Amino acid sequence: MNTSMVRRLILKDWYLNRWMLLGSIPAGLISLGIILTGNKAAFLLGVILLVMIAVGVGAQLVMETTLYERREQTLAFVMSLPVSWREYTAAKIVANLVLFLLPWAALLAGALALILFAPGVPHGFVPYVVIMAVEVLVSICLIVATALISESQGWTTAAILMATLGINGFGYYVAHNASIATGLWGSSIHWTATVSVLLLAEFAMIGLTLGLTFLIQSRRTDCL
Amino acid sequence: MSELAVHFEGVTKQYPLFTLDHIDLALPAGCVMGFIGANGAGKSTTIRILMGLVHQDRGAVHVLGHAMPREQVAAKLDIGFVSEDTRLYRAATLAWHMEFIRSVFPRWDQAYAQQLLRRFDLRPEQKIKGLSHGQRVKAALLLALARRPRLLVLDEPTTGLDPVARREVLGELMAVLADEERTILFSSHNTLDVEQISDRIVFIDRGRIMDADDKDVFLDRWRRLRLVMPPDAAVPRLPGIVEVGGSPRLPVLTTNHFDTAMVSLCQETGATVQAVDCMTLEEIFLASVQNRREGQPA
Repeated sequence: MNTSMVRRLILKDWYLNRWMLLGSIPAGLISLGIILTGNKAAFLLGVILLVMIAVGVGAQLVMETTLYERREQTLAFVMSLPVSWREYTAAKIVANLVLFLLPWAALLAGALALILFAPGVPHGFVPYVVIMAVEVLVSICLIVATALISESQGWTTAAILMATLGINGFGYYVAHNASIATGLWGSSIHWTATVSVLLLAEFAMIGLTLGLTFLIQSRRTDCL
Repeated sequence: MSELAVHFEGVTKQYPLFTLDHIDLALPAGCVMGFIGANGAGKSTTIRILMGLVHQDRGAVHVLGHAMPREQVAAKLDIGFVSEDTRLYRAATLAWHMEFIRSVFPRWDQAYAQQLLRRFDLRPEQKIKGLSHGQRVKAALLLALARRPRLLVLDEPTTGLDPVARREVLGELMAVLADEERTILFSSHNTLDVEQISDRIVFIDRGRIMDADDKDVFLDRWRRLRLVMPPDAAVPRLPGIVEVGGSPRLPVLTTNHFDTAMVSLCQETGATVQAVDCMTLEEIFLASVQNRREGQPA
């Protein structure tokens, strides 16, 4: 694996998408500010905005770095460089994951800080927020996999819709899971076995999705 | 035999509706090869196989001594590639592209890049989205040339350019090529473009190589013989005639193996040889395609 070339391709994607990624952080912090106002309607609006920003920036990043590279015909330029399709795929997977982790980590840190330091917010929310944040990461990985394998805007849009619906459904399931719901509104953090299992399953899903994507793409013989 | 920069041996690639069929191609180092074919003839597929972007089903491909596609990374370090469908990043400046390519290619020649900027009349601080199509092609050429490649692969670089921009790009390209010896594969459906810069010609049609030779030999061996036949005399049957046109009284014979003895042979049949015309590369290409397609329908 030509790691220096992979690194250059990742830095290229960072350079081309840096303003969108950096711009999403203040937008997410504004959502957290809305939540802080204490109003119930504002709380809901802030949470919805936060999820929309996180999924939106991840989905846009995937579109820009994979589909638009093909649509805008910059793929031929990149593939004329000393890089194989396998290395290109590795660069795309790592770029999307690492670059998305920047706003994701900033927003997660902001959300946790809000829970832990804002007055009146139950600390019991922490496990739920962590599970849901990792679920957003799982969704982005599924979108990356769909975009890279299908190379289709239609399929990727469908994956984005499914991911958004999936996050809502999963959030509802987790919030109503007995072992999590019990401590949700409490003043202390309950890190139960269910929380650990869910997190492990999510990380396994991320590993499996990205690993399979790399494996499938590495076997392709035609890249243009 | 001189060193081969590109060597295809029995290369086949099959698609549902198109087959690149048993391609044999040899491009000696230091040679400028014009690769001519109609749209959909197989030029781009051949070039994509050359670049390792598409894997052949059968056959061997060696580029600058590297087996393709397995050793494509090493090969591409020495290749400058510009194709019709190559685009640069619209939101980035030409200076960013130059810096990016410089970081990848150790042989990047900054002084030469600056010289090309002036020659192509390009401004590095300009974003790609602000460039005309002609300027974008020039920018792509600059990025390919300043990396000092041993092999330059140009896949229809002038397609889509208006006549003024095309002439400009070709003129600049020829001026650049005159600077030093390079190995170039120049693909186009425009025979005029190819004729200007190539010293070896390859014709491809419907996925097969039709003919390949030095340009001068190509132009020398193709001729049109304009005859005047006496009444009731048959058009002479000569070897190497690929097309008989005109009328029975005033036939026009096209040959791809012209020899001055042909004139004597025609005269021996009673025909008067009015003229022996040279042919342009375009006429030769069209006659070749027509001859092949008549002999082998699609």
